[in-house]
Amino acid sequence: MSELSLLINCLAVGGGLVALGLLGFLVRRNMIVMFLCAEMMLQGISLSLVGWGRFHNDWGGQMLVIFIITVAACEAAIALALILMLAQRAGKLDSAAWQDLREQGQPAFVDREVPEERRHDPIWPHLTPAGIEPPVDPQTLLNRPRV
Amino acid sequence: MIPAALGALTGPQLLASPTFWAVVVGAAGLWLLIPGRLPHGKVLGSALVAVAGGLFAFDLPLLGDWGRQGVFWLLAAVTLGGATATIASQSPLYSAIWFALSLLGTAGLFLFQGAQFLGVATIVVYAGAIVVTFLFVIMLAQPQGNAPYDRMSWGGLPKLMGVATAGALVGILMFMLQGLSDEARPPALSAAVAQPSVRGAGPDQPGGVLDDKHVANLGRVLFSQHLISVEVAGTLLLVALVGAVAIAIRGRPKLAGRTEEALR
Repeated sequence: MSELSLLINCLAVGGGLVALGLLGFLVRRNMIVMFLCAEMMLQGISLSLVGWGRFHNDWGGQMLVIFIITVAACEAAIALALILMLAQRAGKLDSAAWQDLREQGQPAFVDREVPEERRHDPIWPHLTPAGIEPPVDPQTLLNRPRV
Repeated sequence: MIPAALGALTGPQLLASPTFWAVVVGAAGLWLLIPGRLPHGKVLGSALVAVAGGLFAFDLPLLGDWGRQGVFWLLAAVTLGGATATIASQSPLYSAIWFALSLLGTAGLFLFQGAQFLGVATIVVYAGAIVVTFLFVIMLAQPQGNAPYDRMSWGGLPKLMGVATAGALVGILMFMLQGLSDEARPPALSAAVAQPSVRGAGPDQPGGVLDDKHVANLGRVLFSQHLISVEVAGTLLLVALVGAVAIAIRGRPKLAGRTEEALR
C-alpha cells in the first residue's frame, strides 16, 4: 500500500469533515448542534494529524490527537454547562435568542415564514393510561412534587 | 510550491477535473439538505451528495489493494455520511446520534491507519461519554420535538454563503492535495523517510508507528517526551470540572433564594 496515497485519502476525508463542521456551525441555529459541529471539525483535524504521523513515522501526530481528545472533553464539560444555563434563561436553545449581544447599529434578525412541521416528521404516540390507579401515599407526593 | 500548483491551474483544466464538479454538486446537495423552506429537498440532496462523494473518490489515488480500498471507502462513507446527516437532521437528538455514527467511522479510520489506541479512545471518550452527555443536555433543555429554529436555518442567503464557503474550502484543499500527488516527495522528506538513521527506524521496526507493541511505544513517548503536557492536561481537566460546576451553580438564581428560605 502506497503511503502517499493513504495520506492523500485520509487528508481528503479530514478536509471533508472540517468543511462539513464549518458549514453546520455557520448555518445551524441550535446551540447544541453548533457545538457538535465544532467537535466534528476537531475530528477532521485529528484524522489528518494521524495521517501525517504515519507518513513521517513520527509519534507526534498521535500525541497531539490524545491532547485534542483531552481538551475536547474539557470543552464539552464547560460548553454544556453554559448551554444548559443559557437554555434555562432563554427557554430555548436558539442562538438567535441572544442576539441582543450584537454590535451596535446591526439590524435585528427576524424569523420569516417558519416552515410548517412536515407530515413525515415523527409524531410520538401518547400512551393511554390503563388499569386501576394505585393508591397514592400523601407522604410520597410531598417528597416528590413532580410525580 | 503547492500554492504554485494551485495557481497554475487553468480554466479548462479546472472544468475537466472531477474534483471541481464534485465540489459543485456536493455544495448544491448540501444546500438542499440543510433544513429550510424547501419541502422536498431531502431525496435529491442525498443523491447529489452521494454523487459528489463518488466523484471525489474517482479523483483520489487508489490504495493498491482492493480489499483495503473497499474497507477505506466504507469507513469514509460512514464518516462523511454521518457528518452530513448530523448537519441535515432537524431534530438535535438525531444530530447527536448521527454524530456518534460519524465518530465510529473516524475510529475505524484511526484503526485503519494503525493508531489502535486512538481508535479505542475515540469510541470510549467521544461516543461513550461526550455524545451521551450531549443527549442528556438535549433531553434537559429541549424535551419537546422539533423547534421552529431547528426547522429553518438562518435563512436563504446565509445558507448559500455557508455552502459556498465550505465548498471553496474543500476545493482548495483537494487541489492542493493534487499538487502533492503530482510531484515527487520533497527530497529532504523522502530522504528522511528512506534513511533509517534520520528517523530512527522504519514504520514496522521497533519504535515505529506500526510496531506490534503499539500501546507500549505510545506510552513510552507520551510519558517521556510529553510528560509535562500530560501534567498540564490533567490540571486542565480539573480546572474545567471546577469551572463547569461553578457555571452550573451560578446560573440558577432561584436556587440561592430557595437555600436562604430553607435556612430561615
